[in-house]
Amino acid sequence: MSFRNRPWQRLRTDKAGLTGLVIVTAFFLLAAAVWAGFLGESWSEAGGGRWESAGAQHWFGTNVLGQDIFLRSVYSVRTAFEIGLVVSVLSTVIGAVLGAAAGWYSNTWVDGTIQWMKGVLDSIPFYLFVAAVAFALQGVYWAMHIAMIATFWTTTGRLVRAEVLKIKSQEFVLAARAIGLPGPLILIRHVLPNTAHILLIQSSMVFVAAIKAEVVLSFLGLGVQDGVSWGLMLAESTQEILAGHFNNFLSASLMLFILLLGFNLLADALQDAFDPRQAAL
Amino acid sequence: MRYALNKIFHGLLLVLGVTLISFILMVWFGPDQTYSLVGKNATAEQIAEVRHELGYDRSFALRYAGYLKQLFTLDLGSSHSSGEPVNSILARTIPVTLALMVPGFVLGNLLGIALGLLSVQQKGRWTDRLITGFSVSSMSISFLVIIILMQVILSTPYGLNLFPVRGWQVNDPGSYLKYVAVPTLSLIFITLGYNTRFYRAVFAEEAGRDHIRTARAYGASTATILWKHVLKNSLVPIITRFMFSIPLIVVSGSLLIESYFGIPGIGKVTFDAITSGDQPVLKAVVGLTAIAFVLIQVLTDFLYKLVDPRIG
Repeated sequence: MSFRNRPWQRLRTDKAGLTGLVIVTAFFLLAAAVWAGFLGESWSEAGGGRWESAGAQHWFGTNVLGQDIFLRSVYSVRTAFEIGLVVSVLSTVIGAVLGAAAGWYSNTWVDGTIQWMKGVLDSIPFYLFVAAVAFALQGVYWAMHIAMIATFWTTTGRLVRAEVLKIKSQEFVLAARAIGLPGPLILIRHVLPNTAHILLIQSSMVFVAAIKAEVVLSFLGLGVQDGVSWGLMLAESTQEILAGHFNNFLSASLMLFILLLGFNLLADALQDAFDPRQAAL
Repeated sequence: MRYALNKIFHGLLLVLGVTLISFILMVWFGPDQTYSLVGKNATAEQIAEVRHELGYDRSFALRYAGYLKQLFTLDLGSSHSSGEPVNSILARTIPVTLALMVPGFVLGNLLGIALGLLSVQQKGRWTDRLITGFSVSSMSISFLVIIILMQVILSTPYGLNLFPVRGWQVNDPGSYLKYVAVPTLSLIFITLGYNTRFYRAVFAEEAGRDHIRTARAYGASTATILWKHVLKNSLVPIITRFMFSIPLIVVSGSLLIESYFGIPGIGKVTFDAITSGDQPVLKAVVGLTAIAFVLIQVLTDFLYKLVDPRIG
């Protein structure tokens, strides 16, 4: 077994991690089915009576408008993946680029500026920052995504910077420098690939953070503006649980919990597999 | 001394950054306030006058300087929606938020430390696995779901029906306990999973060090090792965690908890300011919180020096 394959071997024997992978894949397939138009198309149709209980017609019952709660919670899988993917991919890319630049040019003005930006963004409490962005970008559909990306890249950036600092002084980088390869080329071709595991782990953690933040933001009225999401369903449910209607709350929170648990288990397993020293702690 | 100056300079740069961001987002980029202030059928002069008062006719740098001056002299103007001075709003609501959030914040950290220590002591055994499993599950539950569950279980006829459903009618210790209980329990469960996981990692790293192994070899009891060596040597990360989560928990947490339970603290005020577009309140809250956070960071650096003189 080659040294390089060892993390994947470890991953294959990690039961909790595999469970996580299965959950995430299942949810992704659901989201893909919604994207392709096989499922959940009629989530906004009011096809039933008000607050019908669960049954053959409406699997999870209906909401106050008579909309089918099952279809709404399934369609929300797509919303969750849209938010999670957009935010995790973009914030990981930004974190990788800025973190690598800061680490490679450490102790120069490049590093100083990037560190300062990170410090500034980390100093504004997240929900306040989102509120401020929403206030500035009133009516802009992407306001929530922009706010999340702007704050979530900092952790990835910090980790990548630390890793690049470590890699920078290793022999293979010194050798690449000695034969005269230009700095940016070494950085992109030889240093950044060695931070891939960090990016993988971080992006799954950002995915979790983004979906969790969506729920709170949608409740505060700063989140998803049109369409349907688990956050909007939960916000709706806060109006009706005191009257004893639990269907909205139960279906949205259970789907959300299972997906988040899947991602958390997967992220833990990735951490265990790729960074055993950290994981052993 | 050079260390202190360096830290303060660093802090000043951060203050400039955070105020710049909140200025750009809320004043420069923010929606035009003119028409919410002038009456109907305003003349061109009236409009020009309001615009002048708001500073719309001045340059970016001048307006930013004006914003800084407002923040540092605490001359924050009045709320657009109620007309109440922002200072008096802050003075009225901050104590409520502190009374609401401090118990849950402190208990959440103490419980996290306790579970973390227990987990490390029982490492690899079922207690450890139970605690780890609990923290992963609790990290997978949305904050809003925790709050709703707590409310349903503790304050409605569908559960135990022990506490008021929402609100804040506090006038004596008894009523305080009644109204603070559900939000406090919610906050503990919101933070406990993250806290436990964090502290467990810190303690596990500390417990793996050589001097701990030496102490064990000399026959020190597990309790002595955990309390005297592991806990004491983990003070720096504990302090960091504690200090750094103050603004996050108190401001971000209160935004959700207060608007959910209808508690008149700083979070509710902020929430109302967001929904009604009340710019003076919002820019004061964002600017002051960010400044407070920078101050906390500088303070934490000095605390480190007290705990561990080697840091420098």
